[in-house]
Amino acid sequence: MRSQSAEQTARGQRLIIVSLIGIALGFLLVLQLRSQATVAATLAAQDDTSIALLINDLNKANNQLLQQGADLSQQETQLRQALSSGGSDAQAIQKELTTLQLVNGEIPVHGPGLTIHMQGGIMDFELQDVLNSLRQASGEAFSVNSYRVTSSTPIISKGNSLLVGGHSIGGTLVLDVIGDPEQLGPAADLAVTSLQTRVQIVIQRSADLAITEVVTPHPLIYGQLGR
Amino acid sequence: MTVLASVSLATFLVASLAATQFRSQPLPPSNRVARDEALRRSVTQLEDQNRALKARVQSLQRAVKTGEDESARRSSAAQELKAQVDDQRTIAGLTALHGPGLTLLLHDGVDPNDAGDRSLGWTVHYQDLQDIVDLLWANGAEAVAVNGQRIVPSSSFHYAGVNILVNNGSRISGPYTVTALGDPSALAGGVGDPDQLAELKSRNRIYGLGLSWVKATRTSVPSYDSTFLVKYAQPVS
Repeated sequence: MRSQSAEQTARGQRLIIVSLIGIALGFLLVLQLRSQATVAATLAAQDDTSIALLINDLNKANNQLLQQGADLSQQETQLRQALSSGGSDAQAIQKELTTLQLVNGEIPVHGPGLTIHMQGGIMDFELQDVLNSLRQASGEAFSVNSYRVTSSTPIISKGNSLLVGGHSIGGTLVLDVIGDPEQLGPAADLAVTSLQTRVQIVIQRSADLAITEVVTPHPLIYGQLGR
Repeated sequence: MTVLASVSLATFLVASLAATQFRSQPLPPSNRVARDEALRRSVTQLEDQNRALKARVQSLQRAVKTGEDESARRSSAAQELKAQVDDQRTIAGLTALHGPGLTLLLHDGVDPNDAGDRSLGWTVHYQDLQDIVDLLWANGAEAVAVNGQRIVPSSSFHYAGVNILVNNGSRISGPYTVTALGDPSALAGGVGDPDQLAELKSRNRIYGLGLSWVKATRTSVPSYDSTFLVKYAQPVS
């Protein structure tokens, strides 16, 4: 009788243990399956605003890539036609050379744009933030106090001085940018908002602005062609 | 034994259902879920399209280069121009490069879960990448890439919600690897200067945000995977 009771107790304990293990396993299995699904879709963790902004940016980028593809396709057709007629198309190569020199800041340019006057102490990161925003808004050529600026131009603060390409910028900072006025205007307004509490800012729109300063290219010392 | 197996199976199923229910409760109604899924599908489709368009641009670039090479073989004037184009392409980042330099690693730290701290200082922001890249240029970098994206004259970093974008819609996420070609000692000296990246370094201490760098005798940067669109700036004649 006593041994039967002990056996029942032992069976009960086994049942409880097995049940607990079953519960734990079931819970873990579901958590694991659902976690894998989450990892598989990194976008799923993002809020709708982020996704909407991402869609907007991707649409913009894809439109630019379509335009780039169309330009290159036209360039390639011209080259092929010139070659098939037995000649060469120096004009197409010249056009590409001019575009690249312009992008690299090596030739004077003009076009519609903005001039932003900033009076007050500007830090290096503040100027970089403004330039970054204007580049994002399709800014194509920049100069700061008559020094041509590209993305690789060093901009650093040393004490109270701001150095742009090694040149000290004193007094009023004058930033010229050429690009799509429709995009540059709102981007500039937004970019300088945080500065306006302590810096006096004037933004002038221009239908035809000239940036005549150029960058002197530095030869590669460390970098070599190829991967 | 049969009873034991039945009970085990039953508890397993009940626990599974309970867990499913537990995880499903926060989910919004089904039309909201469908809308979210549609938005995310749009992103995936646009990113696929983005990759395909970049591949097409690269293919056309190769075709143009082949045409230019052939032109250069036929005319000395074209040959001279072609040499200049090649130089400009290298400066603009349209050519892959290798050499000595510096590799810098950056990753998110630990969320302090502090209601009073809304700075999000434990996460890497696009401005952090921008500051690092600017510092590397200032210390003589000849070429820079972030997570395999070459930084070129038209590059800009920005947010689209929680995403960091660079170069024609390329979405980059942590951990971030910044590669720079140049004098390794000068680059490391610039990054290691206590006066530089001071805010980032303090977040490294406070939040455990990852910031480290290593000098490299040989590293490489890829070419820019797109081209340049200039519509408004014209050369001064």
